[in-house]
Amino acid sequence: MSEDNTTHFGFRKVPVGEKAGHVKAVFDSVASRYDLMNDLMSLGIHRLWKRQAVALSGVRRGQRVLDLAAGTGDLAQRFSGIVGPEGEVVMSDINAAMLGQGRSRLTDLGLVGNLRYTLANAEALPLVSDHFDCVTIGFGLRNVTHKQRALDEMYRVLRPGGRALILEFSHPTSTPLQKVYDLYSFNVLPALGKLVTDDAESYRYLAESIRMHPDQETLRAMMEGSGFERCDWLNLTGGIVAIHRGFKL
Amino acid sequence: MPGPGIPDAALAALETALNRYIALDPEGAARLARLQGRLICIELKGFASRIYLIPGTDGLQLFGSYEGEPDCLLRGSPLALARMGLAERKEDGLFAGEVEVEGDTRLAQDLGAFMAGLDVDWEEQLSRLVGDPIAHQVGEGLRSAGRWGRRSADTLTQDLKEYLQEEARLLPTDYEVQSFLDQVDTLRDDVERLAARIDRLRWRADAGSGADPGPDA
Repeated sequence: MSEDNTTHFGFRKVPVGEKAGHVKAVFDSVASRYDLMNDLMSLGIHRLWKRQAVALSGVRRGQRVLDLAAGTGDLAQRFSGIVGPEGEVVMSDINAAMLGQGRSRLTDLGLVGNLRYTLANAEALPLVSDHFDCVTIGFGLRNVTHKQRALDEMYRVLRPGGRALILEFSHPTSTPLQKVYDLYSFNVLPALGKLVTDDAESYRYLAESIRMHPDQETLRAMMEGSGFERCDWLNLTGGIVAIHRGFKL
Repeated sequence: MPGPGIPDAALAALETALNRYIALDPEGAARLARLQGRLICIELKGFASRIYLIPGTDGLQLFGSYEGEPDCLLRGSPLALARMGLAERKEDGLFAGEVEVEGDTRLAQDLGAFMAGLDVDWEEQLSRLVGDPIAHQVGEGLRSAGRWGRRSADTLTQDLKEYLQEEARLLPTDYEVQSFLDQVDTLRDDVERLAARIDRLRWRADAGSGADPGPDA
């Protein structure tokens, strides 16, 4: 079956080997204006979503945090302030342009010392097992070709007692909200993308990839499949975004 | 998972405002670095609200909830907490039992000392969380205790007002206030008319009963 050799890229099917390249092209294209675009797209609410993720992380002074798909480093910035000089925050992204943006931004803020940067694929992390107290991936999992592999890797690098947090677009829980949201993301978003980054296609991909992302229940099951325990999730903004959490016990 | 409390958007705005103050005082920020990564919980008595503070090198992070046990829990009325932040001797509030401290007391005192060192219009900041009347009461209390200096309005105050009116929509605009006042006027007039009518009816009833002598007259 050809089904086995293709994967979703938004609503399109692409060969498995090509998805990473397509995603790279999208983020290469939007990297320089990623923050601005996020603010516009989410009307600034993405900052509140990220705050919630940090609050649920329970990260404390001296702990080790891995932030996957770190992008421009919003989560890593907060973690760096919390873990302090004895702690460690590893910021990772598969995309060199995005990671570079994040690194420059955090360095410009004077955040150095406890931050490390790793250009890596979340499906095959070049990191030791049983190391981190917390692994986060914010708005990144849906871009990963093999999500289950990424979850397995997150589980592997967590130390026992550690937790994983997945902040990701999800599925609104009410039908009217779903309708408004669809209208917004398929009509307004690409237009905004065109305006700000001169790239409507990339933002069309973002909207489509959000629709193809597993819903809350499915993602919970996937996390359990990787070995996570006590998995739960918190819907934010009516389920447009959900924070999934699981522990390695 | 977290319950309701102070709206996260309000905390985010407060965090930005506070950190702007802190950035103005690099020496103070250096003192803050010593407290980095400690989790301090402030419980406002009577509001069932908690604020979690995490100091960092470049300011404070504020959350409405945070996983795990805080290193230090401060519990008190807004007035008592504010007094503690401003008093020359922090122990006053602690010994008077106005502010309960659980956990690392030293941490609480360090934070109090840091806050007191900041030139912040706390009344304005507090009003964003608990509303103007209460914040004003707290401010009055502090003023009468002689510990409150008048802070001059600055750009931040202007920012806050604009934010509250235009963005957070927590405060009404002139038009909304006017419309509300009109409704109040109408209601008051209606009540007065009704009172007059009741008076007239009562007068008539009295007059009626006066004209018609009772059976025992």
